Amino acid sequence: MTDSQENGAGEIVRLEAINKRFGDTEALKSLTMTIREGEFVTFLGPSGCGKSTTLRILGGFETPTSGRVIVNGEDVTRLPPNRRKVNMVFQDYALFPHMTVRRNISFGLELKGLSKRDIAQRCNELMEFLELSVLADRLPDQLSGGQRQRVALARALAPDPALLLLDEPLGALDAKLRGQVQAELKSIQRRTSKTFFFVTHDQDEALTMSDRIVVMNHGVVEQDGTPEELYFHPTSRFVAEFVGETNLIEGRVDAVSGSDVTLDWKGLKLAGRPPVSGGLQPGKQVAASIRLEGMKLSLDKPEDQPNAVAVRIAGRTFKGSRTELDLRAENAPDFAMRAYVDTSLANGLGEAPVWASWSQEAMAVLRD
Amino acid sequence: MTRHTRLVMSMIYWAFVLYIFVPLILMITMGFKDSKFIGFPIRSWTLDWYVEVFKDSEVLSAFGYSMLIGVSSTLISLVVGIWIAVLLNGRGFIGKGLIYGLTLLPALIPGIISAISFRIYAQLWGIPPGTGAIIWCHAVHNVPFVMLIVAARLSTLPKSHLDAAQDLGADPIIAFLRVTLPYLRPALIGGGIFCMLISFDDFVRSFFLGGYQPTLPVLIFAKLRSGMSPEINAIATVVLVLTGLLGIWAERTTRRMKQGKLQS
Repeated sequence: MTDSQENGAGEIVRLEAINKRFGDTEALKSLTMTIREGEFVTFLGPSGCGKSTTLRILGGFETPTSGRVIVNGEDVTRLPPNRRKVNMVFQDYALFPHMTVRRNISFGLELKGLSKRDIAQRCNELMEFLELSVLADRLPDQLSGGQRQRVALARALAPDPALLLLDEPLGALDAKLRGQVQAELKSIQRRTSKTFFFVTHDQDEALTMSDRIVVMNHGVVEQDGTPEELYFHPTSRFVAEFVGETNLIEGRVDAVSGSDVTLDWKGLKLAGRPPVSGGLQPGKQVAASIRLEGMKLSLDKPEDQPNAVAVRIAGRTFKGSRTELDLRAENAPDFAMRAYVDTSLANGLGEAPVWASWSQEAMAVLRD
Repeated sequence: MTRHTRLVMSMIYWAFVLYIFVPLILMITMGFKDSKFIGFPIRSWTLDWYVEVFKDSEVLSAFGYSMLIGVSSTLISLVVGIWIAVLLNGRGFIGKGLIYGLTLLPALIPGIISAISFRIYAQLWGIPPGTGAIIWCHAVHNVPFVMLIVAARLSTLPKSHLDAAQDLGADPIIAFLRVTLPYLRPALIGGGIFCMLISFDDFVRSFFLGGYQPTLPVLIFAKLRSGMSPEINAIATVVLVLTGLLGIWAERTTRRMKQGKLQS
């Protein structure tokens, strides 16, 4: 069954106005989005934000209360998981404990009714690709965490799905291994040019691997963009605080024109960038986000920066080559700001007041 | 714990072991006595009673009959027991507790009462006493044990395993056959052997529901009535050794399977 609406270029999945209720709670509220072929999309959010529900709806393990799921132009909203061209890497990997690595990987191929030869060939290809060949006859409990994760990935890739779902698959790995596996996963995605739909609550993981991040909160999309956009140009307070660390200042919009906003903050005029969504009126109370590393410190007032505040250093946290400084503004002593600067620079700053400054580009005015 | 209390406790333990094993050892010993009368003193030893047992066609056919009933009733109770365990493992539904209770009931009812009620019930429906009736009664009695053992194992099966099977193209039936059932294997072996032993050991139900052909315990009972003879000791010893070995094997296998290579 092909859809009447035409497919966008390379579009592989479309979610149309998905609503999902569990009793009284609304897990998803009118979620609409598309995923293009070959994209690494990450759904990022705290637990209970609706990211896992979205994943389970795509996999066919949940049916939306209303709305449609289109995969490859076909409406699959009511199809059970075994009839979808979508495969999943589970959080606990869910490897079948009584089957060897090879049997686990070939499970989906056997059910597709492929010939023995084709199954063996595809299996060997994947095992070679993911460096599992020497482990072919091992049982899952004879594997390390990273190896299990690769088997789970091979098993999900084997039936050649249109979309691969990954449900926080790195959560069970220790921190050291995790970084390595992140890089590996990204490289596998590039080499297979498969569409990956990744779900995580870990913003680091999302920033490292994704082509595109969708930040979810309370069942709605907060922001949808590239990692850079999300990090440097968050549009909402939630995104600014959830992705990376930031300084939030509250002020009143003084003037808006095109891509310039002037903010009145405790008597100081600050220049920033408006959110992409627009919607700022002079007089409105808003928040603005300045990343820790966007804040420059100097002994003298910098002439070339539009935003400069006299501050005192209230605390230092040594973090190796860089140091995190705890700052108090002179015009608002109760207000804490943080800056992340080179340790050598931080050491050169004494107890006397210094200047914190940032560019217009570094200050993102938020929509709420 | 002081050395003294430890000594006392281990002595009590060994006294208990002695209390259990002395009768068994006596019984085994008498089977080798070269005399028709059971009792001390033993003047000479013989293996004749064992030869007798293996030549006694009555004993051999009763043994075979007991095996037939054991295997058939075990297979039935495995199927029904798995069925109920899977049903109860699902989401809560109305009557779940009732089904659970009713399933356990046969294990709690005294053997004599269930045997009599089965006899009356069978008569009501015109089911003749004999093989079918015994198998049926044993199967009903064994279902709760299978259900409990399988349910315990089933509760440890991660739900994601079934999701994964379905995700890879298996419909619920294939997922059950290829993922759930292999996972349950240790429970099925353990539960099955447990059922076999209970059925093999049963006297009351077989006695009440039996026809002309006796099971082994019923035959032993009949032989006892015509007088105690060392042949009975020999039969009992053979049964003891066989069931003992089977029990130990089952225990070892299931334990190894559970902690060993089948553990996820």
